[in-house]
Amino acid sequence: MEAIAPDQVRAEVRTFWNLFCTKDKTGFNRLYSPTATVFAADARRSESARLMLVRRERELFGPASLVKAQLGDIAVQLLTPHLAVASYPLHFSVTRNLPNGLRVQVDVPFTRVTQVFQREENGGLTIIHEHMSSAEPTSPKTLPAEASSVR
Amino acid sequence: MQAISPEQVRAQVDKFWKILSGKSGDKLEPLYAPDATVFTGRAKRAEPAPLAAARRMRQVSGGASTPGAEVGQVEVQVVDNVAIASYTYQFHGVKQASDGGRLEKTTRFGRATQIFQLDDNGALRIVHEHLSAGEAPAIEKARP
Repeated sequence: MEAIAPDQVRAEVRTFWNLFCTKDKTGFNRLYSPTATVFAADARRSESARLMLVRRERELFGPASLVKAQLGDIAVQLLTPHLAVASYPLHFSVTRNLPNGLRVQVDVPFTRVTQVFQREENGGLTIIHEHMSSAEPTSPKTLPAEASSVR
Repeated sequence: MQAISPEQVRAQVDKFWKILSGKSGDKLEPLYAPDATVFTGRAKRAEPAPLAAARRMRQVSGGASTPGAEVGQVEVQVVDNVAIASYTYQFHGVKQASDGGRLEKTTRFGRATQIFQLDDNGALRIVHEHLSAGEAPAIEKARP
C-alpha cells in the first residue's frame, strides 16, 4: 500500500471542508471510518462519528443552513506510512434555524482542528478521530427578522 | 515490534494528570516526543509541546493551592505503534493573572485527545495533544 504524503492529507482536509460547506452529505459521510470518534466543538464528550453525522446532517446540512470555513496552515505529522495527524486553525461560521424558529449565526474565528487520517485498503484516507474546539468562548447571535430568509 | 496495550496508554494518561496536579515529582517534558505539537487552553494555534510543558510545570510549581484533576473513562484506539486516547476531565488549578494576582480556574467539561507513539527505545510518548473545554472554564480571583 502506498505511504501517505503530507500533500495528500492537506488535499483531504480541503475536500472535507469543501464537502461540509456545500452540504454534500454522501461525500462527507465517506470521509469517516465507521468506528471513528469525534469531539465536536460544542460537545461535552466524544461521540461516534455515525451519531455526529446524523446530528450534523439535521442541524447543518438543511436548505436553510449556511456553513463557511476559511482554513489556516495545515500541519501534518506522518506517524506511520498509513497514519497521519492534521492540525490546523480555521475560521468557521454557521447560520441556521433553531427548532424554535429563531435564525442564529455562530462565528468561531479561532477554531482548532485535529484530525487523524488512516490509509484504507482501497487507498483512500478516512478520519479515525477528530477533535474540534474554539480558542475563545462563542455564543450564537440571533439574526434580525428581515435577515431570516435564506437567499 | 512491541504492541501497545490500552492499559499502558491509560497509565501514561494517569501519569500526565498526576504531574499536572502536583501529585508527582516527575516532569511533563519526557512524556512528549521532541517534535510533538499541542493545542491547549486559549492558544489560537498549535505550539511545540516543550514550550507548553515548561509553561505548565511553572504553573504547577507556582500554584498557591493544590490543583486537582479527575479523569473520565479513557478510550483507546490502537493502530500499529500509535495509540489515540480520548477522554473527558475536570481540572482545578491556579494561574498567574496579568496584574500579578492569582486566578483559580475550574474546567468542568474538559476534553482531551492525546496521540501516543512508541519511540525507538520502546517508550510511549505523546506526539500530538488537543485539550479543550466543552464549556468555558470558570475563573475567579484566588482567595489570599
